[in-house]
Amino acid sequence: MSTSLSTKSMVNLQSASTAKKITVLVTVIFIALLLFGTLTTDGFYSTENFKAIINSAALVGVIAVGMTYIVISGNLFSLSVGTTAAVSAMTFLWALRFGMIAAIVITVAFGAVVIGLQGLLVGSTGANPIIVTIGAGALLEAMATWISGGVSVYPPADGPSYAFLYNPLFGVPFPVYVFIVVVIIGELVIKRSKFGRGIYLMGESPRAGRTAGLPTIALTTGAFVTAGICTAIAGILLGAFNQSGTLTSTGTLTVDSISAVLVGGTAVVGGRGSVTRTAVGAILVAAIGDMLLLRGYSPPIQLLALGIIVTVVVVLSYLNSGKGSRS
Amino acid sequence: MPEELRLEMLNVTKAYGNLLALDDVSFDLRAGEVHALLGHNGAGKSTLVKILSGVVLPDSGTIKIDGVAVSPRNPRHAQELGIALVDQELSLVPVLTVEENLLLGSARTSRRQAASLRKQLRPLLDSLGLEHVALSSVTGSLPIGEQQLVEIARALSRDARIIILDEPTATLSDHEIAKVFSAVRGLTAQGKSVIYVSHRLGEVLKLCQRATVFRDGKRIGTRNVADLDRNSLVEMMLGHIPETVRNASAEISDSAEMLSIRSLTIPPRVQGFELDAVGGQIIGLAGQVGCGASEVLRALAGLVPDAHGVVELSGVRLRLGSPGRIRSSGVFFAPNDRKEEGLFLSHSIANNLVATRIPRISRLGFIRKALENANVRKLLDLTGIADDRRALAVGVLSGGNQQKVLIARGIDQQESRMLLFDEPSRGVDVGGRSDIHNLIRGAADQGNVVVFSSTELDEVLDLADVVITMFAGRIVSVRPRSEATASNVLTDMTHGAEVLTS
Repeated sequence: MSTSLSTKSMVNLQSASTAKKITVLVTVIFIALLLFGTLTTDGFYSTENFKAIINSAALVGVIAVGMTYIVISGNLFSLSVGTTAAVSAMTFLWALRFGMIAAIVITVAFGAVVIGLQGLLVGSTGANPIIVTIGAGALLEAMATWISGGVSVYPPADGPSYAFLYNPLFGVPFPVYVFIVVVIIGELVIKRSKFGRGIYLMGESPRAGRTAGLPTIALTTGAFVTAGICTAIAGILLGAFNQSGTLTSTGTLTVDSISAVLVGGTAVVGGRGSVTRTAVGAILVAAIGDMLLLRGYSPPIQLLALGIIVTVVVVLSYLNSGKGSRS
Repeated sequence: MPEELRLEMLNVTKAYGNLLALDDVSFDLRAGEVHALLGHNGAGKSTLVKILSGVVLPDSGTIKIDGVAVSPRNPRHAQELGIALVDQELSLVPVLTVEENLLLGSARTSRRQAASLRKQLRPLLDSLGLEHVALSSVTGSLPIGEQQLVEIARALSRDARIIILDEPTATLSDHEIAKVFSAVRGLTAQGKSVIYVSHRLGEVLKLCQRATVFRDGKRIGTRNVADLDRNSLVEMMLGHIPETVRNASAEISDSAEMLSIRSLTIPPRVQGFELDAVGGQIIGLAGQVGCGASEVLRALAGLVPDAHGVVELSGVRLRLGSPGRIRSSGVFFAPNDRKEEGLFLSHSIANNLVATRIPRISRLGFIRKALENANVRKLLDLTGIADDRRALAVGVLSGGNQQKVLIARGIDQQESRMLLFDEPSRGVDVGGRSDIHNLIRGAADQGNVVVFSSTELDEVLDLADVVITMFAGRIVSVRPRSEATASNVLTDMTHGAEVLTS
């Protein structure tokens, strides 16, 4: 009896350290690829290009910070962040008629509720987060299309100016500042707060968390609410930048943010990882995209590259976590 | 035919690491007999069963069936050799029909054989008193007792000469047990042999012809059941157990907590559990696996949603089914499975130690490093783990030290009021066990109500101030430690009051 238990624990520990190795390996390979690519790409090493990279990392990065909470909490991903960001952008532009502060508050509350409800559902029923969030994303898209009548939302002509949301400040685009602030706060909360500690523990073992008396439903909901807030913030920046909001403006935000988390080295099985790692991941992902762009590859190729990365990382971590391989 | 030997095991030895699970054991089984295997947990019964059913290979020794040497390589091979095992855990697939389950994994593969087998299924079910169960019913929709009977039917449907029943009646009602008995008698009348593993001495005395008792991996003896009674069986199982009586616990202070449990029911395992306890007392729930003690502790910790009953701690009613709330009313629970449910294995020792007291080390939602460190230091001190190991993953510690982390985590000088330990020293060596018992005694001396469960007699006698024995979900006896002896506790753990008749 005790023998089989201790073998099991060894397997757990081995897979934990293998998972760590895989995540490190992914980051290392990624950086190596990047170095190789950039050294051979004209125009990569320029201040302007770095600015472009960090700017495009900012939007994805803000969402990825929220996504990190979900991943660490052991609930995989929310696949509805792209749609939520688009609808947040529409909400923000529409709500500008009530003034800037009201518009921001309304949009952030919207994002928190939309994604938070998914977390509540996942946390209280134990439903598979991937399926719940796919369903929720479709529902949200349908409702947004219905309410907006399928046309783009434009800001009110007499509304407050929101140009500061995309104009550079001291030569750096505003979203970059937002990204930095979100990363700092996100890291502080997950590493130092009661909430963050609970998320790490629950992500490591939901059963042990329940037994230890952690409020697992509240923690899961909280992780999703955090993701919702971050997504709404990204939606505000997106809406301001585009000056119009449509459902099709989401592009590849969902897969980009998931790649940022994984490339940063946060384990897909939960319990380990950090927001700073995700920030680095977002920049790496943006840099790869930028490099491919400079070398003349089209956006679909960038998406292909990210798709391969995400698939490989997820499959490898699952094979090693023992969750997928045996049964 | 009584002297015809169906099965012989000669000088069989099996070790797991340093632990000798079976030490040079010989065993024989006659044709047409029901032979009981008895012994404590860890006595070697399960290892013997696993060897026969091909789950583990012996290190040495010989096995003969009808005089021919065999060595079951895997469960399928064992089945082909005519050995069928009915495990205590159900192995039916709940979504399949009864017929599909009965045919599942059958070693005969030809279609014609399967068809002829199918014809025998109906009479087989009837013989087990399952006349009203259709072959096409979905297995998962049957009551658990009937599922157990289907499981037995599956073993019988294979043309086995040797049938091993491992605790077949643990989940059955008396009525269902009678059906199993008559099925077993029908088998032996056909000359088949049955190995009957059970903790229930009453059943053994009623059903079996011979009984073999194991202890610490050795065969203590084989006797004709006709020459035995409960007391002589208990004596064989016990051997020598030191009768330690610990000093009466520290004085009970006026402010001690009071626990009152009234008609706690946990379907389908526990009925009408009642308990009164005061702080400072250590209550030991003693019983075999499946007796319901573990379920009682889990229900008290809020982990069983459909448990109901009135549980009051110092006059405040606990909301069963809500682990978070129960935890914040000062109840700590250490589960019996530290790997799966207790510890966060890849997190640091420090993190694990304070996992149950995050609110205590936080101010305004943020964790205070100073408070955390102070708590970690205090708890490390309790466990005796060196301070410089605090950042190590708890999973790299030895089992004993892991268990100490789990126990220490539940011990909280300021906030705790009731502590629940499910098998507090499972898988821990003797030294570790005494450390853990000292930790628990220390917590009781601080006025906590302490309730633990154990399937191990010496742990119960070592730690408990009040010994409650449980059997089949009910309390059999409540004794102060001074009146509990190894033999009366073991007697109550193994056959219950007069639960078994007919």
